[in-house]
Amino acid sequence: MVIYLKAGSELRHRLKPDIDYYTRRIKTDAGKTIKEVLIDLGINPALVAFVYTEGKVKSLDFIPSSGQSITLQPPVSGG
Amino acid sequence: MNNGIAGTSLRINLTIGEIERIESDEEVYRRWHGGRGVIAKILYDEVPRDADPFGPENIFIVNVGIMSGCFIPAGSKVEFGSVSPLTNGHGDSNMGGHLGPMLKFAGYDMIIFTGISPKPVYLYIDNDTIELRDASRYWGMGSLDCEKQLKKDLGEDFEIATIGPAGENGVLFSCITHDFGRQAGRTGQGAVMGSKKLKAIAVRGNRSIGVYDLESLKKQVMEIILRTKTHPNMEPWQKYGTSFFIKWSNDNAVLPAYNFQTTYFNDVGKIDGDQLVEQCLISHKACFGCWMNCGKYTKAVIPGKPIVHLEGPEYETIALCGSNLGMKDINHVAYINWMLDNLGMDTMSGGGVIAFAMECFERGLITEKDLEGHTLRWGSVDDVEHLLDMVARRRGIGEWFAGGSKRASEKIGGGSEKFAMHVKGQEMSGYDGRWSPGMLLSYMTADIGAHHNRSWTITVDIAEGRESVEGRAKIVVYLQHIRPLFDTWCICRLFWGEVDVTPEEIVESLNHITGWGVTVDEALRTSEMIWNLTRCHYIERNRDNGRAFDYPPSRSWEDKIPSGPGKGKGVTRDQIEQMLDEYYAARGWDKNGNPTREVLEDLGLVFAADNLEKLGFLGKPIPGGIPPVRGEKYKPKAF
Repeated sequence: MVIYLKAGSELRHRLKPDIDYYTRRIKTDAGKTIKEVLIDLGINPALVAFVYTEGKVKSLDFIPSSGQSITLQPPVSGG
Repeated sequence: MNNGIAGTSLRINLTIGEIERIESDEEVYRRWHGGRGVIAKILYDEVPRDADPFGPENIFIVNVGIMSGCFIPAGSKVEFGSVSPLTNGHGDSNMGGHLGPMLKFAGYDMIIFTGISPKPVYLYIDNDTIELRDASRYWGMGSLDCEKQLKKDLGEDFEIATIGPAGENGVLFSCITHDFGRQAGRTGQGAVMGSKKLKAIAVRGNRSIGVYDLESLKKQVMEIILRTKTHPNMEPWQKYGTSFFIKWSNDNAVLPAYNFQTTYFNDVGKIDGDQLVEQCLISHKACFGCWMNCGKYTKAVIPGKPIVHLEGPEYETIALCGSNLGMKDINHVAYINWMLDNLGMDTMSGGGVIAFAMECFERGLITEKDLEGHTLRWGSVDDVEHLLDMVARRRGIGEWFAGGSKRASEKIGGGSEKFAMHVKGQEMSGYDGRWSPGMLLSYMTADIGAHHNRSWTITVDIAEGRESVEGRAKIVVYLQHIRPLFDTWCICRLFWGEVDVTPEEIVESLNHITGWGVTVDEALRTSEMIWNLTRCHYIERNRDNGRAFDYPPSRSWEDKIPSGPGKGKGVTRDQIEQMLDEYYAARGWDKNGNPTREVLEDLGLVFAADNLEKLGFLGKPIPGGIPPVRGEKYKPKAF
């Protein structure tokens, strides 16, 4: 299935967007968690504070649906 | 002027009540870029090295920088500075809100307070009308209460900054509060205000600010606005602020718990961002010109206690007054936040000092007798409330803690110095550095004591390997140059640094405002110049090699993390020494941590080199010379 990951700042460099400035189209297996998808992409999940989709915060154990757009939120670098 | 500078500064001699208007010197701003930079230069030039931070010779400065109040997003900051009573060196701290822009709209770039008023006063500014007014009826009021009263007395359209009883009584980590929840928290600026009997600053202004090229600025700003409006990270920021990173810190073993004894808090789910939003949130709150609205206006509801309203708690306060104190209820964290705000104490140092006291109580180093018959148990909001009252009034043993954890540990002894979690007298921020060596180095080498905002490296440490210290020093140096530029230009790092605005774009805005034609490299050199000046100032005041002051408490290397994902991890003393050696080499300083003549002259600080030499603390020449460029950017991380 296809999902869309979006990221800004430090994470964007690691995500390597290909759709627009922030978004990368990802082919992945259904049932995988975001954490597993990140590992497949070579992105250390520890660099992602949480994910955000459809107006809600989710943990990295979240399992996305086909076509879903998910934002990767980096930790605040000094709050 | 058409360069972001309002044109007038004020010199106020509080001893004789004299107010002098002087022309703001554009050349000084061009060289030092305003805010923290101008403050550093004035403090270095004008405060005698043996001046008591609470004495009449200390200078208290308010500077609004160049970009604050101009037609840009988040141009909201105002910078305060003086010789810090907490660290005995250069001290600066800033806040958002609306005070800085309002001061510029009134026509003023800077206020320099000297002397000590014979009686409590507040500064009243209404465009051209400037008065020192009697503050005796406000003296003793809480910060938040005083702001409310002044708004009632003067008008809601005044912007007001206040201190609380803690600042009046000289608690060394006292803060300045504004807009019912924004603080200039660090380095004890509220205590210096209090020492001068200055209770508040109230400002109203309605002038415009001239800029060099308004059309280009507007065009650039609109592009940034439209782009950041749809930035994927903007909506979570707006909804949750910084509170949502507490769980991440816990999962990654950097969240301080029980006075930095460990880095994993089992009850983090009771005090995280979800709980703040579900239980406490009333509305979002924003600073001048910002729609990130990271501020959260909240209430704390605890049975048996009055319902209180506050802004917060944000990440640092949840960490340092939450997990660090063993608090298991977000309402309790919010209540402690409110107490500290109204009493006028920095929630970061406040949390650190309370936690230190709690561990002293746990170890039997202080007793119920010392605490007027009270206990001081982890997780007890009632015990914290009593201790804070003792500290704010400097009553009994509160006198010791009013000096911060460093001075308290010197009084208490019994090995407590090991777990007084400060560097140079200022308490650590809400991150434990034992499994984040770059973060520990950032604390060790920050000019104002342990503070995360100069340099934050946790994701660098995670990405590059948390067991290794190699290569961290150069990155810390770079971050210590780029991040304080926000405090120099008086703009908010959260907006300008977290949603993909580049350093080049920030400098472009600066140039549209000023016409200066600054490059990013020049800005970094200016920041490096400021950094070296504050280092020289610190060494000159404290009369020892710089290295002597750059160590964290020994818990940092003696105690491995005992629980959670970081169990067993920690740096060694050898690694700490290695990081310092690499840091000084990266800076062009000698092994004693003293700036060398070569680097100071390269930065145009010949006078500082001469002064260090006279005192015998000029850095020895480095074989092979200094690095031509100090600091190295870590590619994925701009700030």
